[in-house]
Amino acid sequence: MASAQDPTSQTPSSRLEETLSTSARVEELSDSDYEEMETLTRHEEANQAYLKSITSPIEDLLDTASSEVQDETLRAVMPFLIGNPNDFDLNSYGLPTLQREKHVKFLKQSLGPFPPQFAAMDASRPWVVYWCMQGLTALGQDISEYSDRVVSTFSSAQHPEGGFGGGHGQLPHLAATYAAILSLVIVGTEEAYASINRQTMYSYLGRMKQVDGGFTMSPNGEEDIRGAFCALVALSLLNLPLELPPDAPARQHGLTSFLDNLGEWVSRCQTYEGGISAAPGNEAHGAYAFCGLGCLSIMGPPKDTINKWLDVPALINWLNSRQSCPEGGFHGRGNKLVDGCYSHWVGGCWALVEAAAGKGIWNRAALGRYILSAAQFKKGGLVDKPGKRPDAYHTCYNLAGLSWAQYDWKYEKSEGERGELDAPYHWQLDGEYTEDVVWDNGDMVNRVHPVFVVPFGKAESCRKWFEEQTWSSKGTG
Amino acid sequence: MPQKFYHDDPEWADIEPIAQDDGPHPLAAIAYTDEYSEAMGYLRAAMAKNEFSERVLGLTEHIIGLNAAHYTVWLYRAKTLETLNADLKQEIAWLNPTALSHLKNYQIWHHRQTIIEKLGSPEGESDFISTMLEQDTKNYHVWSYRQWLVQRFGLYTEEELNWTESMIEEDVRNNSAWNHRWFLVFGVPRDGREVDEYTVQREIAYVQEAIRKAPQNQSPWNYLRGIFKQTKRSTEDLKTFALEFANVNKPDDIFSSHALDVLADIYAEEQKKDEAKKALDLLATKFDPIRANYWNYRKVLLDQPEVAA
Repeated sequence: MASAQDPTSQTPSSRLEETLSTSARVEELSDSDYEEMETLTRHEEANQAYLKSITSPIEDLLDTASSEVQDETLRAVMPFLIGNPNDFDLNSYGLPTLQREKHVKFLKQSLGPFPPQFAAMDASRPWVVYWCMQGLTALGQDISEYSDRVVSTFSSAQHPEGGFGGGHGQLPHLAATYAAILSLVIVGTEEAYASINRQTMYSYLGRMKQVDGGFTMSPNGEEDIRGAFCALVALSLLNLPLELPPDAPARQHGLTSFLDNLGEWVSRCQTYEGGISAAPGNEAHGAYAFCGLGCLSIMGPPKDTINKWLDVPALINWLNSRQSCPEGGFHGRGNKLVDGCYSHWVGGCWALVEAAAGKGIWNRAALGRYILSAAQFKKGGLVDKPGKRPDAYHTCYNLAGLSWAQYDWKYEKSEGERGELDAPYHWQLDGEYTEDVVWDNGDMVNRVHPVFVVPFGKAESCRKWFEEQTWSSKGTG
Repeated sequence: MPQKFYHDDPEWADIEPIAQDDGPHPLAAIAYTDEYSEAMGYLRAAMAKNEFSERVLGLTEHIIGLNAAHYTVWLYRAKTLETLNADLKQEIAWLNPTALSHLKNYQIWHHRQTIIEKLGSPEGESDFISTMLEQDTKNYHVWSYRQWLVQRFGLYTEEELNWTESMIEEDVRNNSAWNHRWFLVFGVPRDGREVDEYTVQREIAYVQEAIRKAPQNQSPWNYLRGIFKQTKRSTEDLKTFALEFANVNKPDDIFSSHALDVLADIYAEEQKKDEAKKALDLLATKFDPIRANYWNYRKVLLDQPEVAA
């Protein structure tokens, strides 16, 4: 133990101690009457006791840029984990209730129109529509009032040569294609399904397939694991053939199927840390981990594919390490900061991993605490962390994260094949999670499909509709 | 910057712009400025007739200035540069300040990759990347681009390793820098690179020293465990090292939860279940209680040898 400093001299964590004594609490109580103060104090004490109970006594004294921004983050987050600076109603566990109406209002506003300074979003409009539709349905809203507008918004973004772009005249892109298809799946009308040109889509996906097994996002665009996931989402939901189209460039190198070399490619994205990176050689990252696991969970039952292509114990160790302590939310990479969007990107990995490796591996309650206490913005919408502005992205993915915390899933491969890439249609709800919960019925969000991240049932309906259509690679609809 | 329009520009008189058609009541609609709206109208028209020209280069530069996150414009610009056989060094000179003013932008890096690939030389790139990383030391796209560059031009050099080391020296918790070091020394997962014993010993010594600076820092621990796994060597030395920071029989003297994690794995391997359980219990109850479910799951696996293996 030559140069390691003795951390036991600062038990419990000095960071926690420091934050517990900040003035935020006093301000919070200043204009409350005695009775309310008693109540608040009881909740605050309970929260403090909880935070102490999950905080490790070990802390390194060495200061670096990483520890400095982490300390700053804790100073911003702790007042929200202890008290209630937003003055929200509290649930029976003493945590802020889910601010459903405020979030609904925020998401409806997020559907636009936007002022000119939002031009930077011009290529991401399909994402905005998806995040809002998914967020609204997670909150239990009926989105049928938007059905026609979703369909017409995307019909102008569909490229004549297949796939969707960010808007009219933009080149097709797999991220835009993913967001557009999922939005249409959430709408779930025949008109929505029929608006997708499967024939040109098939041909476009064929052009994205690369010899090494992966997919590029756009013609001459970057190849990363989002491409593999988004392409498989499209192939599966639209019930497209696995055989590569005759004009797919990868055919010239001997590939014949969309799945050729794909498992190997995903496997090469698993790093020495156990997590999954954007492309072989890059750093393990929570969002790419979800894409990789999602891709494998479409290729076949997760128990088969995840165990076949990944080192699962290393993956689970890495995923678990992504839960920030004591914040409870997730971060995306080693020594990075908690961010509400990883409530989904990392939180969503668990249902897929648990289907491959067994249940009860992660801390749902801590995630629920972060989302309810720290990620809700006072005026509605959810955020990365306290001090940040809400947006549709963080709102959608915090709410999805809450759903991962609240529900248990099981994967049951039933008898009988439904055709190619039918693996993701065998998920079943395994009930609500009930141990150590920190939410009431009023804080529940709706069930979300573990692979497709749409309301549960919607992906199944879409696939069924396309199974009933006749396929012709030269057809028109 | 002064606004720029095309409708009264004689150079563009032959082009009939294509207005954006979003259908009735589009969602997430943006009230574009007249300038942006018009420039995009001319780009759609140029793209519709597959025009690749000098004026298109000017037009794409203009639009990128208004919205650098527009992948279509970047891709079309790349194709135009290729078709015109344009001066790519000039393109890089223009890209540098553009990248610095859009640190989080990601299209820029793919574009840069396309250009450097065509140029066939990494000259000046490492320095530019270093400048970018000074602004944002963990920028995922910049690190990924650097990995591409090293791979493309075989820059597995002493200089690259020293630079990476300086990034780690600056912040021993910079996980991106550790990942880059791994990439340089051990390569891409499953590519079967052979690493000589001298290098492996050098890496072990380096990472152990880094752990001693801050034993609760997971980045070097992952690196160290990675080395033992990749080179399939006996974990005896790893155990000896981990014992410097944690001894399951001295729970008041523990300096790293990651050392406990390592020990739990090694004891499980050695079939010392009781010792492994002690390590996992210490993690679950005291040294990493937020992950208690995980440590308890690992305990259950100890009694299922067929799964644990």
